[in-house]
Amino acid sequence: MIRYRILHRTRFTYTEPVSLCHNMAHLIPRECPWQFCEQSQLDVTPPPAVLDTRTDCFGNMATHFAVQEPHRELTITAVHRIGVLARLRPNAAQTPPWEDIRDRVPEWLHAVQFLHPSCYVIAAEELGRYAMESFTPRRPILDAALELTHRIFEDFQYDPQSTTVSTPVLEVFANRRGVCQDFAHLQIACLRSIGLPARYVSGYLSTTPPPGRPRLVGADASHAWLSIFCGEAGWVDLDPTNDQVAGDRHIQIAWGRDYDDVSPVKGVILGGGQHKVEVSVDAEPC
Amino acid sequence: MNADTETSSLVLAGPHGAGGAFPNGNGGPAGPHFFGYDEVRDPHGMTRAHWQPFYRHAPDLSGPEFTRRWRDGQRVIRENGVTYNVYGDPHGMTRPWQLDPIPFLLTPRESADLEAGLVQRGRLFERILADLYGEQRLLREGLIPTSLVYRNPRFLRPCQGIRPPLGQYLHLYAANLARAGDGSWRVISDRTQAPSGAGYALENRIVVARTLPEAFSACRVQRLATFFQTLITALRAIAPRNKDNPRVVLLTPGPYNETYFEHSYLARYLGYTLAEGGDLTVRDNRVYLKVLGDLQPVDVIFRRLDDDYCDPLELRPDSFLGVPGLMHAVRTGNVAVANAIGSGLVESPAMMAFLPQLCRRLLGEELRLASARTWWCGDPESLRYVLDNLADLVVKPAFPLRNHTIPAMDCLDTATTADRIRAMPHAFVAQERLPMSMSPTLTADGVQPRKTVLRLYLAAHGDSFDMMPGGLCRFGPSADSELVLMQAGGGSKDTWVLTDGEVNPFSLLPAKDTPIELTRGGGDVPSRAADNLFWLGRYAERAESLARLLRCILSRLSERSSAAESPELPALLRTLSAQTDGKPKGEADVLPALYNRDDPNSLTTTLHDLHGAAGLVRDRISLDMWRVVNRAARETHRDERPTYADALDDIDVTILRLAAFTGMVVESMTRTDGWRFLDLGRKIERAMHLRHLIHDTLAVPQPAENAILDAVIEVCDSRMTYRRRYLGTLRFEPVLDLVMFDESNPRSLASQLATIADDVNNLPRVTTAARGPDQRLSLAALAALQTTEVEKLATVTGGRRLELIDLLHKLGEWLPQLSNALTQQYLSHLQKSRHLSNAMTATFAPPPSVFP
Repeated sequence: MIRYRILHRTRFTYTEPVSLCHNMAHLIPRECPWQFCEQSQLDVTPPPAVLDTRTDCFGNMATHFAVQEPHRELTITAVHRIGVLARLRPNAAQTPPWEDIRDRVPEWLHAVQFLHPSCYVIAAEELGRYAMESFTPRRPILDAALELTHRIFEDFQYDPQSTTVSTPVLEVFANRRGVCQDFAHLQIACLRSIGLPARYVSGYLSTTPPPGRPRLVGADASHAWLSIFCGEAGWVDLDPTNDQVAGDRHIQIAWGRDYDDVSPVKGVILGGGQHKVEVSVDAEPC
Repeated sequence: MNADTETSSLVLAGPHGAGGAFPNGNGGPAGPHFFGYDEVRDPHGMTRAHWQPFYRHAPDLSGPEFTRRWRDGQRVIRENGVTYNVYGDPHGMTRPWQLDPIPFLLTPRESADLEAGLVQRGRLFERILADLYGEQRLLREGLIPTSLVYRNPRFLRPCQGIRPPLGQYLHLYAANLARAGDGSWRVISDRTQAPSGAGYALENRIVVARTLPEAFSACRVQRLATFFQTLITALRAIAPRNKDNPRVVLLTPGPYNETYFEHSYLARYLGYTLAEGGDLTVRDNRVYLKVLGDLQPVDVIFRRLDDDYCDPLELRPDSFLGVPGLMHAVRTGNVAVANAIGSGLVESPAMMAFLPQLCRRLLGEELRLASARTWWCGDPESLRYVLDNLADLVVKPAFPLRNHTIPAMDCLDTATTADRIRAMPHAFVAQERLPMSMSPTLTADGVQPRKTVLRLYLAAHGDSFDMMPGGLCRFGPSADSELVLMQAGGGSKDTWVLTDGEVNPFSLLPAKDTPIELTRGGGDVPSRAADNLFWLGRYAERAESLARLLRCILSRLSERSSAAESPELPALLRTLSAQTDGKPKGEADVLPALYNRDDPNSLTTTLHDLHGAAGLVRDRISLDMWRVVNRAARETHRDERPTYADALDDIDVTILRLAAFTGMVVESMTRTDGWRFLDLGRKIERAMHLRHLIHDTLAVPQPAENAILDAVIEVCDSRMTYRRRYLGTLRFEPVLDLVMFDESNPRSLASQLATIADDVNNLPRVTTAARGPDQRLSLAALAALQTTEVEKLATVTGGRRLELIDLLHKLGEWLPQLSNALTQQYLSHLQKSRHLSNAMTATFAPPPSVFP
């Protein structure tokens, strides 16, 4: 098991005072069999009049907060101590043929909702065709998915300048470049286009490379990857940005259909003029 | 007109009576038959029994008595401003509501059957919603296909796990029904999120009952008021607190919504505050109404906003019609929303295909009232059937799709439609084509048959529902049209539900059995409404000042033979220029200043602005005030080039209308803060006009000043007073005293400033310790006048009255400052909300230190 200390600070500064803001954050990591929180804290300054955390419809921790006094700066600081266990990874060659999963999806109600188009993920023929190059008849689902992950890693260029949060997945596909979020959305769209459920995972990637191993792209920032549903073998997390199966260096916060379900902070403000945002993330083993 | 006057049989026969499709009471030759069910005539051509009292007592529809009454009725519709906004109508945004005088009749038995069926349907929807937003057993058991829910944009995930107050989702539910060929009713669609039309049904009733009073009482028609009382009780019951007297607001998308008229009408009828999203704010997870200088807690929101517009934070981010944070306020149980957010899920057309099995499973009953047969194409078997029978079916989207648009299927040929369905089968449903019944409708070509659809309403009553004994009946624009849509140009009918028993004369007065706390308030004036009232006052006064000035100018233009006879004209034209666009004015500019609709400063345009401003506060002014403004805006149009005499006539009428409006402002409005803003608007505007008038006529002494002085007291409506005080002798000082300094003259500048200071002092204030900027400005202006000696102002230096000019100049600076101070102090939280979202981009751009 690896323990991490995570510090995630988001700071908004405004040119004019904001008289009221309502926000929803997905910043508290969800717990699961391979990940547990020893300590978790979310601080907001100025102090919010309301700070409620609830479980959302996907089982994530969603925090609502509102600042009701005029402010020119808003800082959200999340500090967590998290233990992450190495996950058992199913043997790819022994996973069921992908068509079987596709045809049996209705049996798994929790997976079905990750099958349909959502805000940032649309199904499209060209994406389906791209996926089908790996999803050959009767190929074990994880085996095919790993190859698709690898192809996205090879065919697409990591380029932080190329996209914004709202760049449509088809544009990413056409331009062959993007960031982790785009690659996650792209692979999800490819999988859903051929009838396979896939969900979006937001989280962090630990920075310190173990000796002799290369530094990973996406380190020290919010990271995003995806999870594919493999039937009885469960969900398997794939990171197309780094061409690997997510392991004990991936710390998850939340999952949903796409970015929109789990964006770290969203808000509506009254006033504020121009605004600027600074984000710093620190995820170090401890 | 056909001279046939046998009223008992031919009332409904128009000029083409013989060929008309409507009854000849003697069972005479039936008109040409049409496919489907005739509302009035049985298959043998005899008038159905329940229509007979109507025919016996309705006047001849082609006779003068009816024509006169109906003209009255239509005038009421116009004057009450019953409108329906039509999107993309080039002829202006609103058009009068289309109402047909011939009602739609439902027998007691038929309406009882419909009620039983719809109540069951409402109960069924409640159970479906509770399950889908809760345990989702129906999905697990396969009674509803998962994609119908998970793909459906009307399934709102933020609502999952929220149990609405009393477990109730639907407080007002409506269903559209049409008849099958055998006359039995089928539900063709449901409205479960924010059903419209109940207010129009009320208005239709008022007009038609007035037009056909004999028939109305002979037919024993049930009244509508009890239904609305049930609705009020239902909305009171869900209040999380203050259950005795909760604050309920009617949430509207605003004046640009197609049914805004109805929102303001219902708000007034039900006694609720009409609020736009911007009038509400969430603090401490509670919803508040922003009123002048205060926030007042809201217990229940009766919404006319669609589900996904309700909260830009958790629902649709691209619309700010809703209230940020509302979803979480609902989740924490601090406010009740009716209908519950998320209720729109069950109005998806695809849901209808599954209702019979859901009814058996959830209620253990058979569905009493059938829907039009509906096939959801996502089911392979249904898809096959639909593709095989496409020509006989109506294809509809299964639910709204956000990322794809589905063009109107009507204009596509069968093959194209089939292709589209095959590409996305789950996105479509097909419905049997119902013949619909035919109802007699009065058209320009006499009485003609029209296909009709009936919308019926249910209000929650305990754990069941009550049906409105009435409804909104709608018909298509032509005999063969199946497009029964108000947007498409059809019309509506009053719906008479007949009773065998006594008619309950209940009318919607405050409930007698529950004690109500006495209040003198009604002070909950939303800031937005105060702003609109302020502008209403300004436009009303602007119109009146301009009208009086134009009358003064026109009377001189129409009487004189040469310019020399009216030496005051140049001064008046200067004033006209100052009051409009500031450009120099000649005689040729006078009529355009009255009539030109393209000139933003003309009287006609100002009257339209006044009408527009009044439309924004329909819920705060009386019906009479609205009528007056409505008429004033409509009656200044002339097709031909008017003479000066015509123009004078028009202005006289306008001035009388505006005087009536002002009279009602003074006599009929309670002195709330809203009224104060209206009054402030009027007084500030009048003070500004007086300042211009005095400056442009009297600052520079003219050789023939008497004529000018006379014009000034005429424009100021102060001639009578002057004559009584000074007889005929016109002098500068007394005139100036009367129009500027005399606080007892309601038309004087000093009187305006005194009233302004008084109004401002009475506005709500957080602290009374120090005077606000608005108070300081209004006091400064009043004091400046009160401490000035009139005689000094008469002093002429270098051909100009410098002291007068100086004083007027100061007032000219203070008045706009005062207007701004009021806006800043009381209306500043009318700011717009914005998203933080795009800022999130940066979250994913790794810091440069990591990527050298």
